Amino acid sequence: MGSRELIAGPNFSGRSRTVHLRAQSFAAPTYFIGPYAEAALSGLSSTIADEIELYRAKDHTTGRSRFGTIPTDPRRKPQTLSGGEQVLLALHCFSLSGYRALAIDTALEQLDASNRREALHYLDASDSFNVVLTDNRACPPGWNCTHLTAADTKFACNWEGLRANVRQCRAPVVAISELSFGYRPEHDVFSNAAVTLEPGQAHRLFGPNGSGKTTFLKILVGALLPRFAQITLDGAPYEPWRSGNRALALATQNPDQQWCGATLGEDLSRRRAALASRGEADALADDRVMPLARDLGVPSLDQHLYELPLAARKRISWLWPFAGAYPWIMLDEPTIGQDDDTCRELARTLEALCSAGYGAVFVTHDDAFASAVPHRVLHVENKQIG
Amino acid sequence: MTPNGAIALVIVVVLAAMMARISGLVALYLFTALFAVIEVGPHAAVALRRAVILMLPLAAFMILVWVGVVGRAPADIAASQPGSRMNALIYVSIVCARLFLIVAIVQIAAMRFATLTPLQFIQALRAPVALKRLGVLTLSLVETLLQAVDRAHTALIASGVITRRISARNLFHGWVLVQTVWLTAITSVTGRMRDKWPMEHTLQLLDPLLAETHAAPLATPDKLWIFSAAVIAVGIVWGDFHGVP
Repeated sequence: MGSRELIAGPNFSGRSRTVHLRAQSFAAPTYFIGPYAEAALSGLSSTIADEIELYRAKDHTTGRSRFGTIPTDPRRKPQTLSGGEQVLLALHCFSLSGYRALAIDTALEQLDASNRREALHYLDASDSFNVVLTDNRACPPGWNCTHLTAADTKFACNWEGLRANVRQCRAPVVAISELSFGYRPEHDVFSNAAVTLEPGQAHRLFGPNGSGKTTFLKILVGALLPRFAQITLDGAPYEPWRSGNRALALATQNPDQQWCGATLGEDLSRRRAALASRGEADALADDRVMPLARDLGVPSLDQHLYELPLAARKRISWLWPFAGAYPWIMLDEPTIGQDDDTCRELARTLEALCSAGYGAVFVTHDDAFASAVPHRVLHVENKQIG
Repeated sequence: MTPNGAIALVIVVVLAAMMARISGLVALYLFTALFAVIEVGPHAAVALRRAVILMLPLAAFMILVWVGVVGRAPADIAASQPGSRMNALIYVSIVCARLFLIVAIVQIAAMRFATLTPLQFIQALRAPVALKRLGVLTLSLVETLLQAVDRAHTALIASGVITRRISARNLFHGWVLVQTVWLTAITSVTGRMRDKWPMEHTLQLLDPLLAETHAAPLATPDKLWIFSAAVIAVGIVWGDFHGVP
């Protein structure tokens, strides 16, 4: 009978370290699914088919049931899958592999409710392997639970201070119509989609893994070029892929995908330089952002971003949208790796920002977090938004 | 055709192209066209289009430098002759013809195995496992770099540092993109090496996978193609010794 262990605890209590230690204590190598692509996929494969082939057990004697199917093109590059799809692929590969133990570090938080239920059921039902899991949202019955309590206070946040620093803003109405986009000509992600985002309000993009939620955010910041789209800000045409992003501050799902420099100071100076070209650099002036950074748990501009623990990196990634440089705030899966206290405070902060006139769009599969923020749900499904 | 045969053929053609003068190049172009038609069929057009896209900027740059700026061929300069732009144009044409042939034969050979995934191609090679591992790791690094470019591009566009379209801002901040790409690539690789690979012993999975080779030695078509290319290469060397242009 395989063991089942859940590692629970607040941020900075050593959850990831404990998962690694438990994995080392298993007699054999352990399949690992980390929170982001670098640690979920092998990095040795150029296609999904190769990733599966790499892990497939050669003797076929594991007797393990297969997890899920891969519904997409097997020749697609695994790194181009959405975060949730990468986790599903990793679980699929594990189910075909000969590994006798599995360690998961917060990765299941990226799954939609249906996939998450299926994944937890798979982990729970099989007795042919050991599992150690850290997850801020799961509490599977019958599992051994190790509660870690002693949290490192080095990265403590001052949420009241953060909310006290919120400035008033008047965000424009963002109207999107006739949006058509696809990564490949024959596979549209959006087809003639339309939606209007109202300021002073939070919007939750809600849909299954791989439905295009992150893609929509990338289009709005100008990183992806739609086949066709009409976007207006307060009625004025807005084409971020041509003129550059000047309205929407995005905190990405993986915080390491948004840094513009190695240190916090370097990152901010480059963003400031970009804003200065439009005469808007004040929002990122040192005397403005330093208190915010301190409130988010990083007291020094010389802090190397990649050296921070994941939960701290995720928090400091919110500095950019919270600084108020842009009137629209977009948070992609903000609660991944965050404990309940942080999620609650984040929800209150988002509400405060909306009350101050900002607009907000967030993507989350965390219903508890979403229910704490007054919001409008936008379903992203069947190539439509609304 | 086998992957080993394709690699051997490409090496012979590339070496021959590097030595070839005009007559040799004509022979190699005819040979490559025949190879493309027989082995790849209509898909050869895709390979040729890719070769043109890769070569055009380089050709334009060489014409600008040698014909437009220098105005003489290297041979003229070495012989202290006044030279002419026509000589420079002939020189650039021959160099570009060689390079185009090299790019085209690589693309056509790759197209021949388009149905295989990169891992299947490496698996099918008859080569030492260490060499195959090196192939997989090289491809892995290439994929990581491509992904890093995509991520860094997205990060800098979202932050307003650069724009998606061509702009003066991109010109001034291009170095930031390069730095961000390297930072992203390094952190991706170190993250993988720190967290995933040691726990899983992931690299050890490659050994049985790459050792499982049922690859045939060179097939008959391989031998025919390689022999034909070798004959042309010998002809090129012979022609070189006897002053055939």
